[in-house]
Amino acid sequence: MTFWYAFGDLNRKILLERVAAFNACQSRIEVKPVHQGDYFEALAKLRTAIAADRAPTLSHVVLEVLPYLARAGVLEPLDRYDGAGSIPFIPALTQAGSFAVDPRDSVFGIPFNRSTPIVFANRHALDRGAVALPSNWEELVDVARRLMRRAANGETRWGFEVPISWWYWVAMVGQAGGRLVDDSGRVTLGGDAGERAIRFWQRLVHEEHVMRPPAGRDYQAWQSTNENFLRGGVAMIWSSTAFVRYLEDNAPFPVVAGPLPRGPVRPSVPTGGTMFVILRAAPAEEKRAAWEFLRWMCDADQVIAWSTRTGYMPVTRAAVERLNAQGFYERHPNDRVAYEQLADVDPWPWEPELFRIERDAVEPRLEAAVFAGRDAHEVMQEAREDARRPG
Amino acid sequence: MLGPTLALLIAFFMLPIGIAAYESFFSWDLITPPRFVGGDNYRAVAAHGELVRVALRTLGYSALVVCGTMSTGLALALLLDRPGRVVAFVRASIFSAYVVSWVAVALLWMWILDPNAGIAGRVLRAFGVTQLSLLGDPRWALPTLALVGTWKLTGYAMIVFLAGLQNIPRPLQEAAALDGARALARLRYVTLPLLAPTAAFVATTTLVTSFQAFDIVRIITQGGPAGATELFVYAVYEQIFLNLSVGRASALTVVFFALLLAAAALQLRAWNVRGGSPR
Repeated sequence: MTFWYAFGDLNRKILLERVAAFNACQSRIEVKPVHQGDYFEALAKLRTAIAADRAPTLSHVVLEVLPYLARAGVLEPLDRYDGAGSIPFIPALTQAGSFAVDPRDSVFGIPFNRSTPIVFANRHALDRGAVALPSNWEELVDVARRLMRRAANGETRWGFEVPISWWYWVAMVGQAGGRLVDDSGRVTLGGDAGERAIRFWQRLVHEEHVMRPPAGRDYQAWQSTNENFLRGGVAMIWSSTAFVRYLEDNAPFPVVAGPLPRGPVRPSVPTGGTMFVILRAAPAEEKRAAWEFLRWMCDADQVIAWSTRTGYMPVTRAAVERLNAQGFYERHPNDRVAYEQLADVDPWPWEPELFRIERDAVEPRLEAAVFAGRDAHEVMQEAREDARRPG
Repeated sequence: MLGPTLALLIAFFMLPIGIAAYESFFSWDLITPPRFVGGDNYRAVAAHGELVRVALRTLGYSALVVCGTMSTGLALALLLDRPGRVVAFVRASIFSAYVVSWVAVALLWMWILDPNAGIAGRVLRAFGVTQLSLLGDPRWALPTLALVGTWKLTGYAMIVFLAGLQNIPRPLQEAAALDGARALARLRYVTLPLLAPTAAFVATTTLVTSFQAFDIVRIITQGGPAGATELFVYAVYEQIFLNLSVGRASALTVVFFALLLAAAALQLRAWNVRGGSPR
């Protein structure tokens, strides 16, 4: 049974170890993992493979694309498989908890590597600046100012950095009191809140001069942010909880994590990461094999092995209870942040166009506003027009 | 005799363009049934001046790469058109960049251009420029990318110019020297006019290569920041594979094809006017 995955580096190594362990613990099913680049590259290949009738049996996809693939009818409904209703998932991380969707609808995605954005800071820098992690936007500006350092040779340690990216913007839209889609199903992109989030970024970059947006796009910008943080070029970043272990293990200073600051209206974060999906066109026998593998991956042992070594959230209550009992969170307080932040999660709209809206309508406008200084209202107006236009 | 070539031309060029033109009138994401939308895809890519910006950006990038490649390639060829092992080594070193894959070149330059850890950042800081990120600033990203393209193609231009220089008969240079022409005058009145066909060849091939730029955009900037390096081929890739829109990608392809066709027609016309048409 072929499994397409989209991880590199450490996460790839850990996943391959899990797959090898599954293949070794039974003899009926052999899972063949195939690396397909990053999330977006893997998605491009998956769509092409579906069109060519050469799709794998099992894959994992970013949350935003799940409604689109479900509407396209290419995903296998999973709720009728054995034991589907009895896996003790953490509700906020399931399809029903991650999307504003009727819980009676079919389940197409099984939580795999789930995350939320969190704050990471250099503890030495916080101590020397005598500041704590910010709890709201104004404090974020103030703390970032205090963390700025300009050396005589021109080298700068920036106060704050975050990729100019959809996921973080969505968090800020929620914090400013907005929602991407209103109650009538109309795509609003947060209305005023969407613009307010952009203006806050513009203020940090162009007025306060406490943030330099990372070069590159997509995961290159994420990687760049992490690297700038690790080499001491920035004191505080927003990144994914997925990088907890990576940042802790590689930073030459103690790393402290915290929840995203509350915005002017309310605390809010989106969830991220991917869900396992089984492709509907696969042979029935392979789909059953894929399901068996998924069940195995949802066992507490596997969930713990995956989450504690990567930083992604444990997706079942059984795993969390066991980690609590073992004192894991006492020893690793940074791992607890994302889990506790689940209380502030805003579910995604179950909007089939969501992924296209992200890529085509919003992402380029965020960059245009922050990098090129275009007016926030103007770019969001364009984004809304593009979002409502058929793809 | 024309049959096989014509068949290949139809199968690999005309038919795909025809299919792209047809698909540009549909909204299609590869996996759900296509839906006829008329000219909506053209309106969408033209909305907010995006199409014009992509076209101008691509032309700007090509102009920078062609001018940069030709001038540095010619200068190096003139400088290194002499015998000697050291000179041969320098020539080979410069040409080696052309042999290296675009991916390797892109990765190398990402390291060089890193605003903090890269050589470029250190040089800029040494000159007191502390806040400039060459790849992170929309005003500088495209010229920086063109610099990378120029660096890669200069070796190729140098070798072709060297071949052109070595085809210029020595007696012509010697006769000019005997007539009292100094080095600069010989360059202007003998070398450059006789290099014109070589220059036209270098210009055409680098123009084609620069119009096809994809790898360095994909690896170094992914079209950013703020779309400042989104060139035509990358824009097509982004629409079809990242934005799930085959129709818009097809519309962009058709426009790109029309632009190239117009450029080729202009070039042919220029050849004909100058009487240089190959017969």
